[in-house]
Amino acid sequence: MPSSDQAIPKVSKELCSRLLADLEKAKRPVILATKCALDNSIYNHKVGYLTPGDKKVRTELNVSSVKKMSRAIFMLEVLLQNLDTGGINTKRELYYISKGYIKRDAGLKPLDFTEQGESDETIDFICEMLECYREELNCYANDRGGQTYSQQLIVTETMPDGTKATIDLSKLGTSPFQPKNRPQNLKLSMRKKIDFCLIVESEGTANTLVANGFTKRHPSILMGAQGVPSNAVRSWCKAIQEQLKIPLYFFGDLDAYTLQNIYRTLKAGSAASLIRNSDYSAPEVKFLGVLPADIKKYDLNDYPVKENDAQEVRALKKAQDALKNDPFFQDKKNKGLAEILRWLISNKRRCEQQAYFSVNPKDPIMPEKIIVEKIKRGDYF
Amino acid sequence: MSKKSTASASKSSSKSSQKITTSSTAEYFSKNLQQVGFSSLTKAVLTTLKEAVDNALDACEEHEVLPEITVTIEKLGAGSAKNSDQIRVKVEDNGPGIDADDVPKVFGEYLASSKFGRGRCTRGQQGIGISAATTWAQLTSGKGARVITKTPAMRKALSCTVEVDIKNNKGVQKDRETIDWDRPQGTSVEFVFDGRLQINGEAGLQNYLMGTALVNPHLKLNYKLPDSEPQVIDRVSDVVPEVPDAVEPHPHTMKLGEFMAHSHLFGRMKASAWLRKGFSRVGDSALEEIVKVHGLRKAVLEKFVDSLEDQEFKDLFQAIQKAQLKAPSTQSVLSIGEETLSKSIKRLGPVDFFSVMTRKPTICDFKPVEVEVAIARLEDKALEPDSSVQVLRFANRVPLQFDKSACAIVQAITSVNWKSYGLAQPKDGLPIGPYIIAVSVVSPFIKFKNASKETIDASDELVEEIRRTLMQAGQRLCRHIRAEDKANELEQKTRHIEQFGPILVQGLCRISQASDARRKKAEDGLLKILGRDARETEQELKTANENLSSMEEKREARLNPKEAAVDEVLVAEVVEKAEKAEKPEKKTDKKKKNKRSKSTAEVVA
Repeated sequence: MPSSDQAIPKVSKELCSRLLADLEKAKRPVILATKCALDNSIYNHKVGYLTPGDKKVRTELNVSSVKKMSRAIFMLEVLLQNLDTGGINTKRELYYISKGYIKRDAGLKPLDFTEQGESDETIDFICEMLECYREELNCYANDRGGQTYSQQLIVTETMPDGTKATIDLSKLGTSPFQPKNRPQNLKLSMRKKIDFCLIVESEGTANTLVANGFTKRHPSILMGAQGVPSNAVRSWCKAIQEQLKIPLYFFGDLDAYTLQNIYRTLKAGSAASLIRNSDYSAPEVKFLGVLPADIKKYDLNDYPVKENDAQEVRALKKAQDALKNDPFFQDKKNKGLAEILRWLISNKRRCEQQAYFSVNPKDPIMPEKIIVEKIKRGDYF
Repeated sequence: MSKKSTASASKSSSKSSQKITTSSTAEYFSKNLQQVGFSSLTKAVLTTLKEAVDNALDACEEHEVLPEITVTIEKLGAGSAKNSDQIRVKVEDNGPGIDADDVPKVFGEYLASSKFGRGRCTRGQQGIGISAATTWAQLTSGKGARVITKTPAMRKALSCTVEVDIKNNKGVQKDRETIDWDRPQGTSVEFVFDGRLQINGEAGLQNYLMGTALVNPHLKLNYKLPDSEPQVIDRVSDVVPEVPDAVEPHPHTMKLGEFMAHSHLFGRMKASAWLRKGFSRVGDSALEEIVKVHGLRKAVLEKFVDSLEDQEFKDLFQAIQKAQLKAPSTQSVLSIGEETLSKSIKRLGPVDFFSVMTRKPTICDFKPVEVEVAIARLEDKALEPDSSVQVLRFANRVPLQFDKSACAIVQAITSVNWKSYGLAQPKDGLPIGPYIIAVSVVSPFIKFKNASKETIDASDELVEEIRRTLMQAGQRLCRHIRAEDKANELEQKTRHIEQFGPILVQGLCRISQASDARRKKAEDGLLKILGRDARETEQELKTANENLSSMEEKREARLNPKEAAVDEVLVAEVVEKAEKAEKPEKKTDKKKKNKRSKSTAEVVA
């Protein structure tokens, strides 16, 4: 994996030179890329996130792959140019930039992308080929970390011109802080001691907790995860974990989708992003709930999974697969989480995070009380 | 022409307070014309045309005349009813003509038919349709059918107007005269009535005429529709299809009651002899099987049929149902044939390729049925490429144009997984693309859902039989599609080489800062690599084309057994063996013999 800014151009040049040498000998060039799939994922709780195994995807040049390779080399040139000049672009910008080059040069017309998905795939292929992050190629998604609230957190951002900007989150009023997805430029510090960071699956629920005074009463960081966490959310959580060394808790629905697609991605990364999970996962984040035991304890309004709801049925089937094939749920340290999956499969019930609001309808801060109580009692996985 | 009149029984009841009256058949139909295809102004035009053309074709076939039919449809002005047009439909044929005495019966009397219940694959069956057309014209314009007809025996043609005496179900002739007519024989019938024209679309007149041409390869059709030039569709076959006579019934096509009633026709005769004589496909081996395998007492077969007890009839019936009998005779079912269908399908317009399939007759719902399928890919692919295929449905060679979704044919088409044959298909829907799928169901007893004969009843057995035929046709079609895909693939690969090769090499050179010499060498190398791929695809294309040619040759050989001398010998042997194995069925002429040889040839092939 390239490790410095100079490494990517160098590795790219070597790769192209090798491909060219093969062609000169009329030998089919072969590109080996890391296989980013669950069957090539390794999980070790000491490492904390999913890492790639030895499996590679072999792309051999032939009439079927010549288009894919040509597009990749073309896009690589654009990205290398950005690296050279320090230019940064989003995926969408790169799509339009590429189209611009192609429109101007009739010889490049066969490469034309008909939709952004095609250019995104090409960029992903380059990342797998060079075993680097998209961000290392100066390509960022137009995305921001989850909406974050705190009365104690101070963020110092180094701007591209070297100047520094300091953001005191306690001065933002009701506005949340949403960092751009380059957390390496952010330095975090605490005005006062922060006890924990709470990541809430639903951004709306995070906002409600803050509006009810959660961050005023508890020295904490409260963040919305925006459903399945994006790279920006994942890297922001990673930065909080690394720089502040505070406990992180995830609070979301009790269903198979939340556990596998949201919480597991936040904690250990995903199979699709094996090569960048190290910087895009927060292994210390704990699953606070909703836990199956909470249903009985707080008399929560749970309900059965709809048998005719294709998405829910698919999630349960995926949960069964996860128990068999996902190294994260098979790890002995995650037995408790695997147990929750088994409970969901056998009981076919689910409970929303918002069920805490109806524990005592007369008390709007009841969810806050339960969350804090659970943290204090160590009632999480 | 024989006549079968309706038996009307008068009923009386002393207990009933109201007087019970008897209505004539004509009275019933005149009040329920929607039941026989006159449910809307648009359908009235199509049904009238259809009935007139069906009668013309049936008459020509009955007398072995190669039909030439001329259809003229005109819009005369406003109709008598609100929002209707006055339409004139005229159908002329070169058929045998109608005897003067029969004219009022044919056009003006319900259930007057020469075909009722005869178990033959004729288009018309009951003798309702054309009388209903006369009634509709009479009710909406005040005039019945204008008929001119001439038989070869008549010196002059008869011209008259036929109307229906609705009270008495009788045809009445008016304005009768004899006229000079410029043809040796034929019939011309003209209706003026309220209707509305629909030329195009699935239920349009154009579709009906094209469909009729497809399944009647021996028909020369001249037609003139409003706002268009006269059109001529020439015949592609000079052979008049012989509508086979009904054969003795097959035991598997009967119910117990019919089986018992059938015995009454044979008087005092041993049961074994009755089974052999009174049914088709029952021979000595079958009688042996019902005794040895299915446990019928031998004594039952030795008894006289008029002395069999009910239980014995039942045992005999059940045993024979279990016996492995040959499929019903092909002689009772008329098929268009793959060869003529192949020629005829090209009359629908320019086609890229097509596939036809004629299945051997089988029994569905106790009746012999033969299904034929023709699938063609139209050359004009730009014509709504994303819309569903065009489905042409036929029952006894008559196009069906309404109530598509409930029809056995459409249900069978949607049940096939067309994706495996290379056609796009939404879930549970008709396949998509510029294709025509024509399905013809022929049977002496087609089970329609209604009297207007618009939809074939979708029984499980029939749907399955149609489905199998479609799948076989799909497999044949698939070879064409595969060959075409290979050709496209080769073209695409060749294009890929030319397009992407230089771009890839130039990109690699720029990034690796390679010299021009390296670039040139790499380009040469790339062409060699990609050329190898293209050659492999060329070979695959060659194989696909060879497979296709081989399939076509086999099909030709199957269709023209006479050209294959060896096949001919085999056929003769098989026929001889078959005749020895069971009592030969009556063969009236040489033509039938040839037909049988041909059908057996299909089995051999």
